[in-house]
Amino acid sequence: MSTNHVLLSPAELAYLHASLSLLPPLRPDGRAPNQFRPVSAETGVLPGANGSARVCFADGTEAIVGVKAEVEKTRTRLGRDPEEEEGGYDPAAEAAAADDDDEGGSEDDRKGHSDWVEMTVEIPGQRDDEAGTVFLAAMLSEALLADGEFVKRLYINRRFHWKLYLDILLISPPLSYPLPLLSLTTHLALLATRLPRLKSEGDEDPLFDDDWAMSDYLYARVAGKAVSRPPLTLLVMAVGSNIIFDPAKEELAVADVALAVSVGEAVAGSLSSRTGSKKMEIDTGIGGGRNLRLLSVRTIDPPSRLTPPGVPNEKNTAYGAAAVTAAQKQPEARTVETESVEGVWKAPRGGAKVLVMAALVDKCLEKGGVADEVFDALEAVDLG
Amino acid sequence: MASLKRTAGADPFAQNISSKVYVRSTKSGKVQKIVREVYLRQDIPCSSNLCQACLKSAPRNAAGELTPFVLSDKPAGTKTFPQGHYLVPDTNAFLTAMDLFEQSSAFYDVVVLQIVLEEVRNRSLPLYNRLVGLTKSEDKRFYVFFNEFRLETYVPREEGETVNDRNDRAVRKAVKWYGEHLAKTSRAKTVPAVVMLSNDKDNLRKAKTEGLNACSLAEYVGQLKDGDKLLDMIPDAQDRDVTRDRKPGEHLYPEYQSLSKMMTGVKAGVLHQGIFNVSPYNYLEGSIRVPAFPKALLILGRENINRAIDGDVVVVEVLPKDHWKEPSSKVIEEDTITKNENPDTEDAGDLVSEKERKALQEEVRRTQNKASETLPQPTARVIGVIKRNWRQYVGHIDQSSVSSASQGRKQDTVFLIPMDKKIPKIRLRTRQVAELLGKRLLVAIDAWDRDSRHPVGHLVRSLGELETKAAETEALLLEWDVQYRPFPKTVLDCLPKEGHDWKVPASTEDPGWTDREDLRGLLICSIDPIGCQDIDDALHARPLPNGNFEVGVHIADVSHFVKPNNAMDNEASIRGTTVYLVDKRIDMLPMLLGTDLCSLKPYVERYAFSVIWEMSPSGDIVSSRFTKSVIKSREAFSYEEAQLRIDDVSQQDDLTQGIRTLLALSKKLRQKRMDAGALSLSSPEVKIQMESETSDPIDVKTKQLLDTNSLVEEFMLLANISVAGRIYQAFPQTAILRRHAAPPKTNFEELANQLKTKRNFDLNVESSRALADSLDACVDPKEPFFNTLVRIMATRCMMSAEYFCSGTQAEPEFRHYGLASEIYTHFTSPIRRYADLVAHRQLAAAIGYEAVDPSVRSRGRLEAVCKNINVRHRNAQMAGRASIAYYVGQALRDRPAAEEDAFVIKIFSNGFVVLVPRFGIEGLIRLRDLAEPEPAAEFDAENYVLSTSGSRTERVELFQKVVVKVSDQKDEITGKRGVKMELVRA
Repeated sequence: MSTNHVLLSPAELAYLHASLSLLPPLRPDGRAPNQFRPVSAETGVLPGANGSARVCFADGTEAIVGVKAEVEKTRTRLGRDPEEEEGGYDPAAEAAAADDDDEGGSEDDRKGHSDWVEMTVEIPGQRDDEAGTVFLAAMLSEALLADGEFVKRLYINRRFHWKLYLDILLISPPLSYPLPLLSLTTHLALLATRLPRLKSEGDEDPLFDDDWAMSDYLYARVAGKAVSRPPLTLLVMAVGSNIIFDPAKEELAVADVALAVSVGEAVAGSLSSRTGSKKMEIDTGIGGGRNLRLLSVRTIDPPSRLTPPGVPNEKNTAYGAAAVTAAQKQPEARTVETESVEGVWKAPRGGAKVLVMAALVDKCLEKGGVADEVFDALEAVDLG
Repeated sequence: MASLKRTAGADPFAQNISSKVYVRSTKSGKVQKIVREVYLRQDIPCSSNLCQACLKSAPRNAAGELTPFVLSDKPAGTKTFPQGHYLVPDTNAFLTAMDLFEQSSAFYDVVVLQIVLEEVRNRSLPLYNRLVGLTKSEDKRFYVFFNEFRLETYVPREEGETVNDRNDRAVRKAVKWYGEHLAKTSRAKTVPAVVMLSNDKDNLRKAKTEGLNACSLAEYVGQLKDGDKLLDMIPDAQDRDVTRDRKPGEHLYPEYQSLSKMMTGVKAGVLHQGIFNVSPYNYLEGSIRVPAFPKALLILGRENINRAIDGDVVVVEVLPKDHWKEPSSKVIEEDTITKNENPDTEDAGDLVSEKERKALQEEVRRTQNKASETLPQPTARVIGVIKRNWRQYVGHIDQSSVSSASQGRKQDTVFLIPMDKKIPKIRLRTRQVAELLGKRLLVAIDAWDRDSRHPVGHLVRSLGELETKAAETEALLLEWDVQYRPFPKTVLDCLPKEGHDWKVPASTEDPGWTDREDLRGLLICSIDPIGCQDIDDALHARPLPNGNFEVGVHIADVSHFVKPNNAMDNEASIRGTTVYLVDKRIDMLPMLLGTDLCSLKPYVERYAFSVIWEMSPSGDIVSSRFTKSVIKSREAFSYEEAQLRIDDVSQQDDLTQGIRTLLALSKKLRQKRMDAGALSLSSPEVKIQMESETSDPIDVKTKQLLDTNSLVEEFMLLANISVAGRIYQAFPQTAILRRHAAPPKTNFEELANQLKTKRNFDLNVESSRALADSLDACVDPKEPFFNTLVRIMATRCMMSAEYFCSGTQAEPEFRHYGLASEIYTHFTSPIRRYADLVAHRQLAAAIGYEAVDPSVRSRGRLEAVCKNINVRHRNAQMAGRASIAYYVGQALRDRPAAEEDAFVIKIFSNGFVVLVPRFGIEGLIRLRDLAEPEPAAEFDAENYVLSTSGSRTERVELFQKVVVKVSDQKDEITGKRGVKMELVRA
């Protein structure tokens, strides 16, 4: 993984691992396991963009996201009505469609395509085609595109759609794994994104109101509050059975398992205005907090796996252990790796345990849990 | 985290900076959010001569000079504002009543706010241009105040405020600031009132609550001295809503479709966009040429025309096939059919009046009777207007529409009949019917609502009594959009300071002589019509030792005096051409240049641009060269004088020999041209003879063509062709050329068919050569005029020649069809045509005489110039013809009705059109003019025969020579005078 190496000695790693394994865990910066680092955020930093946001973490990492929207002609995919082929405009068909539903384009007509979002991530000092950067972009866009609900918002009519360009910029050196920061910033930028108001009707060439003040939020707002929110990707890790949110770089260096969990709001009544009511049946009405929905999970290879193992004192020649011959070295080395000695660092091996994974995901989706808290915090940011 | 955003508190300069955000949709369909930063300043002057503070702070140019302040220190007062006042109109005031602001009797000292100017530009470009014109005029004292950039008057948009409300607030804020500012800084004791002009009730109310002076247009005009007259110029938009509460669904016309719907349809090829044209013979029939079809689409009937007016850019929808019709073969004139309509009442109810319906009905019946002989044409209906091309129209009040009981200053509604038959009647409300009757009026159309049969307009001004020379001349200049105002001072400032005393410098060391050839020794003369003052061209010819001839064409060097991009150049490029009326000439360049300094007058030295060829005696060009020169014309001949001199055998001097050489060569050139397939076309040209004292017309004569006419013509053509080749070689992308496209065959279909059925002549239109030959063959031994008649009719089938910029067309398209030349331009009349001036500059650059000016090689600019001069050129021709037609009418006026020969050139089912060669005029003779009661008639459309029976038996067919009585007649009902023709015998 591209998270840069932390220069910690095996002894330090072992100490960290031990303190994080305590119940409750003791984090180096004194945070509670489900506590985020302090965040400051603002939106509208880029006046020329349709939406933008800037978020700073207390550790000094900082990111800016700009969202630009462009009108694009929808290319018909195979298997669709040839009538709707590129630019094929048929007023008769349109009139018929207008008779069917007065809203112009019923819910089922709204179809999105993942091509409609283009995301680029830029990390200072790294090539944009580096595996780590690409993986970051993939995770962030996966969260957006996973359930296909987001791209439906970009639908204009059967012939046109908005194409969204998300430019995600880390503007500080990558002091910690930037995924949570970038996700938070993207979330905020999308919340603040506004699209010009459509004036034309039906399948006409779109015509927009030239008054920016009249533009609509991508995520419709009622009385200053968004009725639905973009997804959020959280970085969670586990050490032993402890689940730790928003790990710092050092913590990540000793993680047994690290997950990127994307959560979105389960479609409650609010979104039904756009996406129809059939989603209503999904568990609603339990009350308290919001209904969260798992969008995607990615395991992240924690850097801890690449750390060199510690050597117990009894094996260390410097501490008087007998020097071993070349012939003896091999079997002994294996014992070092297999045997875990208290206080000696040993890189985690093997996949994450299913139970731990389940616990991690559950924790993320917990009502009134961390995700909820983060959603609430971001909601409080003024979208000026 | 410090915010990256600019906030009001943190930044000490924040109050100087603001930003504007809007959405821009580009043509290619992109939609962008645009953010513009606005830097607010405090040194934008109020420009009142009363203000002392602004005088100190106003920005100065590099030379430390101040732009002079505009607003008067003693502005005029009104009844309400005796202390004097400055006006601050809002956008609507300008949009609805621009004519008022152009009045010379009132509306001085006006502050045009930047926000208002911008809004006017967005709403209407012509009005914007007029407003800019006003702000430039020195005596009107209109000042553009950049309120959006002045800190004190800048208004940020509030949450939830509409753009219009914000702009209204900006206007009020500016008015308020002006008032307070003047009170503070004025050095006079009484401060003029600052009055907001608006027709928006809400805005007025808000202004009053804010304690500002505000008036509606009507209130304000009422305070003026001649207010009553001006009141007519305010459109009656406000009270209209009150008087007409029609229920929805009772609209007379179908509603226009939304712009986005139309654009989508046009792009998809379902709908079609084009310019709407009305048939000159039938006001209920229009046509529109669209790129998708080779032939024009017909638009029939009021409902389908749907409020489009000739010249509008409209979107049409093709009607289903069962609605397709043939173009009308009947004359339908608006004033006869709708004669008895009452302008006051709109209760006619249905859109199509009974009479109109009947007229159309007959039409349909006829089409159906004939079944399949001629195919019906696709018809269409107007579903929306993209751009109104309304201009100001000249007309007169329909006497019959005036209620006899009009008394006092009551507002009446009357009909105005436009001079242009293609324009529908305009409803006009006025308080001064009695004064306006029998006058030529200029009106503007304000609107055409869905529930109004006729467009509504308002009076701009009265031009004067009908049929007075001044009024009629001005009317036709306005009708053809000819710029006839005297040249402004900025233009005259560009003239040489010496005025008429300017001379070619005596010393050849003078910079004026640089690179100029001294051709003063050549025996040069000019040949022009009698009385010509603007002599563009002069010629010479002399034998060379090798047996060849040197021939020179010398053109006035106008580009020496008119430098690119100065005020005079801009004015000339707008005027485009000199317009020749019968008794008047509207110059493109100021008199001093046109008739003196540039004019190649005899006996004086003049700068010229010379084209000099070496020609073999057979008329082949051996070599050619171009040079700037100084010449001295030896004589200015008229065509007749030159002809006499040539014919006079006793004249053997070198000059006469030179002319004879030219004549001989020109005949050879002409023959070559004819062999190449040049057409000799014809149009009925007449000349008005005037009484020298009163310049009243006394007689009409057809123009005579002499050999010398064609002498000059041939060499001018040759010079133009030579120059065209040279500038195209030097500027392959930007040379200004003239082309004449080959006419599409469909244009000739009807004429060919007519010639075939009536006279059994074949019209071959394969090439210009074939056409020339077949035209030559169309001879009727008994009727010498027949050939000319056919040529006249063929000319009308041609495309019109046009200027273009060489980069815009492929090389094969350069061809000049009529002249059968591969390439052509205009070079020989720079005094009266702007295109020639551009060609001069290009040639001068091509021969290395001067540096290339950017304006002659910027393609965009040249395209704009070409577009403008093409229009101006056509308008000038039309104006000239209209002027002749008017004078022909006047010449006939007090003469006993004469019987003249005439030829039938068009036949309708209820009338026919004849051309009278003697006067060069056409006239319509309707069946009902033949006899009383109207004779029954049978129309054979295939054979172009109209036979009448009953009250009068005649048989009229196409190309027939008939005898008509031509007289002048005034229609008592419409008050319109026109040439009346009566059929004496067929």
